[in-house]
Amino acid sequence: MLGQLARFAALLREGGVRVGLGDEVDAATALGLVDLLDRDEVHRALRIAFKVPREAWALYDRLFEECWEGVPAARGEPPSMAPPRDHRGPMQWKWDGSRVRLTAAEDDADEAPDGDAPGYSPEPMLRGKPFEQCSIAEIAALERMLARLAPRLAARRTRRLVPVRGHGHVDLRRSLRGALGSEGDLLRLARRARALEEPGLVVLYDTSGSMDGYTRMLLAFAFALRRTIRKVEIFAFNTTLVRITRMISAAQIARSLERLAAEVPDWSGGTRIGACLAQFNARFRDAVINRHTTVMIVSDGLDRGEAAVLGSAMRELRSRAERVIWLNPLLGDSRYRPEAEGMRAALPYVDHFGSAHNFESLAGLLRHLA
Amino acid sequence: MNEEIRAVQAEMERCGYVAEPEIATAVFLAREMRKPLLVEGEAGVGKTEIAKVLACMLDTELVRLQCYEGLDTHTALYEWNYQRQLLRLKISEREGRDPDGLEELIFSRAYLLERPLLRAITRKEGPAVLLVDEVDRADEGFEAFLLEVLSDFQITIPELGTIRAAHVPFVVLTSNRSRELSDALRRRCMYLYIEHPGLEKELRILRAKVPGASEQLARAVARFVQGLRARELRKLPGVAETIDWTSALLRLHRESLDGETVGATLGCLLKDAYDLRATGPEAIAELVAHAAEPG
Repeated sequence: MLGQLARFAALLREGGVRVGLGDEVDAATALGLVDLLDRDEVHRALRIAFKVPREAWALYDRLFEECWEGVPAARGEPPSMAPPRDHRGPMQWKWDGSRVRLTAAEDDADEAPDGDAPGYSPEPMLRGKPFEQCSIAEIAALERMLARLAPRLAARRTRRLVPVRGHGHVDLRRSLRGALGSEGDLLRLARRARALEEPGLVVLYDTSGSMDGYTRMLLAFAFALRRTIRKVEIFAFNTTLVRITRMISAAQIARSLERLAAEVPDWSGGTRIGACLAQFNARFRDAVINRHTTVMIVSDGLDRGEAAVLGSAMRELRSRAERVIWLNPLLGDSRYRPEAEGMRAALPYVDHFGSAHNFESLAGLLRHLA
Repeated sequence: MNEEIRAVQAEMERCGYVAEPEIATAVFLAREMRKPLLVEGEAGVGKTEIAKVLACMLDTELVRLQCYEGLDTHTALYEWNYQRQLLRLKISEREGRDPDGLEELIFSRAYLLERPLLRAITRKEGPAVLLVDEVDRADEGFEAFLLEVLSDFQITIPELGTIRAAHVPFVVLTSNRSRELSDALRRRCMYLYIEHPGLEKELRILRAKVPGASEQLARAVARFVQGLRARELRKLPGVAETIDWTSALLRLHRESLDGETVGATLGCLLKDAYDLRATGPEAIAELVAHAAEPG
């Protein structure tokens, strides 16, 4: 039973649900409390104990069937082979035949950079190369370069300071402690002020067919940002909008992309930008956007819907956010003019219109995010 | 189904909460495993209600901590009663008492104001139910602090020392998912996601909460609201809105739905100007017709 539970947890992890050791312990305890013969009850209890978020319920259902009812995997490799890669918790359950043991996870050998001969640095050339012309190895190198961008942004993060001199609310607790020395006379008032708010970033990705060559790099860019800006929310859209923040993990970009392609409807299909932005405004805007938030839309602006819908959605978005940045990979081509109807409707509400076709352009973007 | 879970379900119904197996299982597991229960879901699906029902089931006190941006430990945990402290200092000054004992005096329990978290762990009569409402609204720093309290159930006050929980409270946290909670906090809890109720469940809730409404009215209301939720709206009406609306209709002595009454009372259900505008007379007529269909 415990072996199977560990295997199920590993499958969930492979699928991108963040399941930790503590969750496995919870799940094992929960199993001891419910009626094991009742399939639905076990299904419910494990979902509660593994803390599966709503977005991952479809995946959970599929894996539950696969693991507990012997339904074979719908696609791909046999699930139990490779040890689960959990880069958060290095320990994992292992069944050694008689009991469950804790062992350290094996190191990921394939994380090491490949193809870099000593003394040769491909970086200067890679910086200007358009993403859609890059080979797989070059993309891997670019991803590492993107990951290194992060610390530069970190330096700009506001410090959380609480006690201040001068202006601020009076901090009675500290004032009074100070007053004890002078027999209760408040000679000096201690003050504190709210720590500065860290600005958030919302990224809206167009994943339609016309963007295929760029999606991978731009997602890698979002991951890089996520390492230093904690409030990053990522959405994908084409004909409909999906919140993907928690469905993806930086360590496994390729795998994340496969999963997204499977779970996001119409991946690489056509685009209805206006309708999707309206959907975003209706469902998520109030939750993820405040007036300190930067919204970054990544799309080529080739909208199949009506331009008026896009225009009004953009206006609404602009009215709530700190600024709106639109990245258009086509802008890297000097012959391109933003004349598509949708693009023209959106531009009046865009604070910064930039290209995103190579590393250089993304690095240059950082000063707009500060 | 496990007998004990069935019992939990029955208990919750007794306290006026219509619980599906999912909810009863979560409450049962959280109670048995002595873990906080994290409840997520859209506004108005009855997240907060779970804590109230739990308090009713256990016949204990509900201690509520409403979270908001900028919530700090002074509001959540404890605060010294500065006015009294200052007063005491002034009096002592006049009486000329020795200052050494003074510090001990003004930093004693008598001068301490209990805030919800401290109240929840110091309740003497038995474990309280602690509701940490809308935890997603508090800052991340506060979340980390909360995590510490929830794992140790002890609070250190520098002037007083460490206060241990007399009884470990049952903890319910709710979140509207206005931001993602940290993994550490999620892992500490059992997790429950509540969706908008289906027709039958909503009907049962109406019967329990608005007993004055006739079966005919309740059914029409439930069908209308179900239809409304299927539309593209910014803010879907929750169960609380359904209950309000039914009470409003009852107050207006309506036994069935008609376009005019619905139009006049739609503000009970839709709390967004855009949604109200988007639901014009034709849309209402359509929904009313749908609600009146038999079966």
